[in-house]
Amino acid sequence: MRDPNAIDFWRGFALVTIFINHIPGNTFERYTFSQYGISDAAELFVFLAGWSIGIATRGRDGKPEPAVKSVVRLLARTVEVYRAQLTVMLLALALIAGAALLLDNPLILEWHNAGGFFADPIQSVCGMALMTYQLGFFNILPLYVVLIGIAPIFVLVGRVSLIASAALSGGLYLASLVFEWNVPSWPGEGDWFFDPFCWQVLLVLGFVLQGWNLRSDTLRRWSRRLIPAGLAIVVLGIVLAVTGIRPDPLMVPEPRLLFTFEKTYLTPARLLHFLGVLLAFAPLYALLAPRIGAVGRYLSQLGRNSLAVFSMGSILSLIGQLVRFQTGGGVLVDMLVAGSGLVGLGFTAWFVEWRTRNKSSRPRP
Amino acid sequence: MTRVRRSGTRWALAALILAALEPAAAAEQPVDTGDQPSLSQECRVPGAQLYTMAKLGAVRSALGENRPLKILAIGGSAAPGASASYPAKLEAALERALPKTDVTIDHRGLPGEIASGASERLRTMVAEAEPDLVVWQVGTHDAIARVDADAFASSLSEAVAWIRSHGIDVVLVDPIYTASMAADVDYNRIVDAVRTVAAQQEVPLVRRYEALHYLSSRTEKGEGHMLGRQFRLNDLGLRCMAEHVALTIATSLARTEAEPAPKIAPAAPPLTEPQRAPG
Repeated sequence: MRDPNAIDFWRGFALVTIFINHIPGNTFERYTFSQYGISDAAELFVFLAGWSIGIATRGRDGKPEPAVKSVVRLLARTVEVYRAQLTVMLLALALIAGAALLLDNPLILEWHNAGGFFADPIQSVCGMALMTYQLGFFNILPLYVVLIGIAPIFVLVGRVSLIASAALSGGLYLASLVFEWNVPSWPGEGDWFFDPFCWQVLLVLGFVLQGWNLRSDTLRRWSRRLIPAGLAIVVLGIVLAVTGIRPDPLMVPEPRLLFTFEKTYLTPARLLHFLGVLLAFAPLYALLAPRIGAVGRYLSQLGRNSLAVFSMGSILSLIGQLVRFQTGGGVLVDMLVAGSGLVGLGFTAWFVEWRTRNKSSRPRP
Repeated sequence: MTRVRRSGTRWALAALILAALEPAAAAEQPVDTGDQPSLSQECRVPGAQLYTMAKLGAVRSALGENRPLKILAIGGSAAPGASASYPAKLEAALERALPKTDVTIDHRGLPGEIASGASERLRTMVAEAEPDLVVWQVGTHDAIARVDADAFASSLSEAVAWIRSHGIDVVLVDPIYTASMAADVDYNRIVDAVRTVAAQQEVPLVRRYEALHYLSSRTEKGEGHMLGRQFRLNDLGLRCMAEHVALTIATSLARTEAEPAPKIAPAAPPLTEPQRAPG
């Protein structure tokens, strides 16, 4: 088992934040950092996934493993995430349908757009397999499948030149913003909640920065120098989030997406804010780690098993929502829901590690 | 899920016959001539319980300029049985109600709470679709998430004011009625909040809750539903949605026409209204 480290710690932190934010309206939501900035835990999660791809496909000395091995490794991971997405979707739909039947309340069928599935199962089940049918809050894993699926391109280009890899990714990102490229939803109109053409830029950024970080000291030196800039961005983000000031998507000049704050397209404002958060908070782990003991170990353990924990977190947050709905919520219920959820996440991570204790524990993307 | 579906032709025929037989459903409305869509037998609800009216300036000017009418329909699922039948039915019902008008409908789901992220997504959708009219089924997600009704109302009010400030009309549709929620205080406060916002922002409201409540008292008999009575009522509500929305739009439009409508700035937010502080 890997020892607790910064990447796993922040990943665990992002997982807990996502879990809390996926129980909308709960008391603890306002204590998550997502409420105080333009970007949120999704950015952190995807960036760290990219960083982890770097760790998984390169040795400690920065030498990449054989190309074929990287490609197969990423392919295996893609299959694994896809399998998780199908399982989680099926369980979520069953939870929603089961709750509606049990409580004799068809209102519940509309939860997270599940109504579309029950209204039109013939097309929806195809859409589910294609991942073009997504439930609200169950849309990160489809993004993750696509991102890891296309990651081999950037990893292979990155073996030749990391700058070329970053340029390719940045070019695709800008083009998607200008031409509003996205993957369509089906059945039903609209597009993916997380536009993979835009969000890939964060994954590749994580991968490229991990490579530079291994290679030389320059990145570390600059990230130290830029801490004040990061802090300034964080403060600006807090002000904008608290005051609710944001650009009006019907008033900004064309191309619109360069100026708005939309999560779907990871618009430049969100990306910039995330980089600010990264600069400001990345050094924090070294300061925190010796002081927070068990919390650090807990979060790192979650981060090490991010796929299982994320999947279980989706299901637990849905159960939490149902419990809040049926009981009417309140601080006591919220404490119970969040508390048992966090225990559940910890148990999931422990269980996965217990089950695989005898197998190799290489870091996985 | 099994249920008996009427065929399209039968439905259209029934609508035609009813259109000929039935006087306008709107009680407080001067009886309109032929182009008011009447409700099919199973969906009939007295006008007072079905909707409140307000002017639809942007729709009126689109019709005046003989442009196709672009509608963004937000929220809710299609009626059981066929994909996207709510938007298709709404389009058909509106084209019947507004002859010689081409209606195009963009139907989008909007998961999440208006009081948190969803109102931002709404802005994106409106900016992408640039419609003349937004038909918005609102409140269900906030009710399910037990969002505070005041926070919901102020977010909704802000979102509606924003849409209207861009010269786009809004029709609100409140959440469904179902027996297990009838006594739920929070749920009723959300339904009331939608009504309050519609009145304050002067936008038409389809009172789906009231309409379904009315229908529920009437549908003791009729086709069975393997999942129980509340599910049957829900199916009926979904089937009737398009008709109810079309009728609300048509009667509101008739009223827009009856009074001298401001042509140039059709949907400037009313300055005299007490605006809630943006939340």
